[in-house]
Amino acid sequence: MYRVMLIDDEESARKLMRASINWESLNMEVVGEAASGIEAINVIDDMKPDIAFVDISMPFMNGIEFTEVATKRYPNLIIIIMTALDQFEYARKCVSLPVFEYMLKPMVRSEITEVLERVKKRLDDRRSDNEDGAFENELSGDMESSSVEQIKKYIENNYTDSKLNLTSVAQHFGFSASYLSRKFKQETGKNFVEYLTECRMNAAMKLAHTGMKMFNASSEVGIPDPNYFGRCFKKFAGISYSDYVASNHNS
Amino acid sequence: MEKTIGNTNRIQTKNSLSLRLRLVFIFIILILTVAFAITIFLVMRKERRENVLHESESVLVGLSDSIYSDIQRYKELSRLVMIEDRLVKFLRADTDEVNNVLINSARRGILSVLNVTTMVDSVFIFRNDGQYFATNRGKYMLNYIRMEQKDWMEKIINKKGRAIFCINADDAIYKTNGGPIITISRAIHDVVTQERTGIMCMNISSTFLEQKVITLHNDDIVVIDTTGAFLAGNEELIDYFDEDFTTENLVHVEKMVDNNDVVISGMKIPEMPIVIMSVTHVRKGMVPMETIGILAFLMLVFVAAVFFVGAFITRNITSPVFELTKHMEKNRENGTLEKIDVNIPDNELKLLEDSYNNMVDHVNDLFEDLIEKEQTIQKAEMRVLQEQMKPHFLYNSLETIGYLAMDAGADKVHSALETLGGFYRNFLSKGDREIPLKREIMIIKDYLSLQKLRYGDIINDEYDIAPNTEECKIPKLILQPLVENSIYHGIRMKGEQGTIKITSFLEEDELHIIVRDTGIGMTQEQIDKVLSTEKTDASDDMGGSFGLWGTIERVRCYCDKDDVVRIRSDIGEYTEIEFILDAHTNIFKGVNDDRKIDGKAS
Repeated sequence: MYRVMLIDDEESARKLMRASINWESLNMEVVGEAASGIEAINVIDDMKPDIAFVDISMPFMNGIEFTEVATKRYPNLIIIIMTALDQFEYARKCVSLPVFEYMLKPMVRSEITEVLERVKKRLDDRRSDNEDGAFENELSGDMESSSVEQIKKYIENNYTDSKLNLTSVAQHFGFSASYLSRKFKQETGKNFVEYLTECRMNAAMKLAHTGMKMFNASSEVGIPDPNYFGRCFKKFAGISYSDYVASNHNS
Repeated sequence: MEKTIGNTNRIQTKNSLSLRLRLVFIFIILILTVAFAITIFLVMRKERRENVLHESESVLVGLSDSIYSDIQRYKELSRLVMIEDRLVKFLRADTDEVNNVLINSARRGILSVLNVTTMVDSVFIFRNDGQYFATNRGKYMLNYIRMEQKDWMEKIINKKGRAIFCINADDAIYKTNGGPIITISRAIHDVVTQERTGIMCMNISSTFLEQKVITLHNDDIVVIDTTGAFLAGNEELIDYFDEDFTTENLVHVEKMVDNNDVVISGMKIPEMPIVIMSVTHVRKGMVPMETIGILAFLMLVFVAAVFFVGAFITRNITSPVFELTKHMEKNRENGTLEKIDVNIPDNELKLLEDSYNNMVDHVNDLFEDLIEKEQTIQKAEMRVLQEQMKPHFLYNSLETIGYLAMDAGADKVHSALETLGGFYRNFLSKGDREIPLKREIMIIKDYLSLQKLRYGDIINDEYDIAPNTEECKIPKLILQPLVENSIYHGIRMKGEQGTIKITSFLEEDELHIIVRDTGIGMTQEQIDKVLSTEKTDASDDMGGSFGLWGTIERVRCYCDKDDVVRIRSDIGEYTEIEFILDAHTNIFKGVNDDRKIDGKAS
């Protein structure tokens, strides 16, 4: 099964797409969604998609910016850009990006299916050529436990970089992402993404004590999408950021 | 009056043109003056010379005639002497019969004839046998040698009794006290026998010539004989004598003497060996006042004509051109294209004005055409847009889908479709440019309820619309972009619930509409950019705020003033955009009226 990720700020658009396409017949499954480029960067390493549908117009980090980052980090990822008519020319300016296809919104099922069939063919060919998938690693190396400490340090120093994720850290240290992820979990007992988020949330809680607004705190800690930040915070702290600020303020 | 550099240049050009014209006139007048001066000089010179020639001619011819006729008279007298009885007796007498008595008697006879005149100095009578007598004996000297020469006698005899004129009897007789004499010689023939009986020489004193000259009161006349010897008049002038003057025709010779132009005129008196000459200084000639007067008058007339032409050109060309350009300049400065009405003579320049006015008309027509075309295109585009939208098709489809949804029990879908239909109905609103405020509010309500479907419950909306503002007409769709901006650039960026509140009220005839959101707010820099009236400022890196800027521009354009909007914001708290419009429903002019085409726009 090929893994598909939907990146679109429009929740209903994601839902519609997930529901309207007969993924199984294409030997595909939707493994995840993201409502912004920021969220996508944070979760993509967990989802390990082969195919990504990217909406051009998204707040905080638009589809083009995300595509630029993604094509560098995941050269085998197949990216399909989705754009409304009024942004189509802007999208066309980015044709230098190795994008599989540009599609005009609102999209029709038959068109999506047609494109996906071509994608499937490409991936089938690749698989028969024994090429690696987007998240299969070729890099490997032995990692000292001290390296994990180094990595933790690196995360603590760089978590404000909104583009930081498992793959970028792995590339920085010269490991494969999956190896690093495995090793990291072994050494620390925590997922890499969990650890990164923890770092950021701890920082955010400190900021919350100062009464800082959520949208400011979110960009301070490297998640400039306050919607995604809000979800992360609630998951981490159990209450919403604003409630957390309010309760702290009261006490 | 020189407002711009271009203006100054233009005026300078004008000046240089009229200056050049003036210079040309001055040049023409100068040339004319010089030409007239030269003409006058030449004419005067010619006039003077002719005057001189004429004068000396009349003097000389008159003198010549006078001398000639006098001497003719003496010739007649000599004929009378020839036939005097006592002289005849003397001549007829034989050689031996001649005695003093006879001689005295003959002398008396001659004197009796000569009594009438005093200028005859003496008469010599020679008989064939050589005996002779004179009426004035003693004062004369005879040159016998000359007399015995053959040709002396022959000259007289060959004339067979007719008179010949010569000076000093052809060198035969001299007056002892000097002074030349004019001699009339002739042979005497006997009346009866017709035989030659003797010779008579009648001598006339040159005083006679002197008297003739004196009566002319002219110092510049000299009388000489054909050999150049002085006879009478101004003796200094004999140096001018020339063989050319020994003809009977009047001869003029011009000479430069002591830097003076002189004319020497001379002629020989007919039949006589006498030449008269006059020397005249041309300078002394009279100035021909009349000619100069006429010339001067002509010149004045000419100069006057030139001035008239100049004035004519100024009045008919230069001034009207100035006037025309002044009016055109005014048009240019005002930036309007009005017809000009210049008070200029009805000539070709009037044609220029007419064609300028025609051009103005034409340009204005073109403008109107252009605007009309633009309007037509706009209307057509609108129609095409509406045609493309096919509202009917849209509404019908929405209704059909709504029914399908309701039939399937999806009430939510039905109501969403209803809202969408309502939104589009108000959004299109028959293509009107202005709609009542309440209509715009309806659009916003529909728009927000649709957006709420998308973004869940992060948006709350509140309305505080004063009832007296509901019917106020506002440009269509000036609030919807503000609300859209509030969602996308305000509330959604915050990641928290937000409220959009629309407020409207009337204050001092002004309609205030406020859109307030509790989004992330705007920095002063962003506000300045959005409020900028410079498109170049605004369109660059404005990103999503361009729609907001465009809406503000649109409102400015409708109200025809820049001060229509206030933006207040607190970062992280709120943004408040307030439109302040004139409450009169008729203030919103059509876009077309805003262009100043004919200068009538208020």
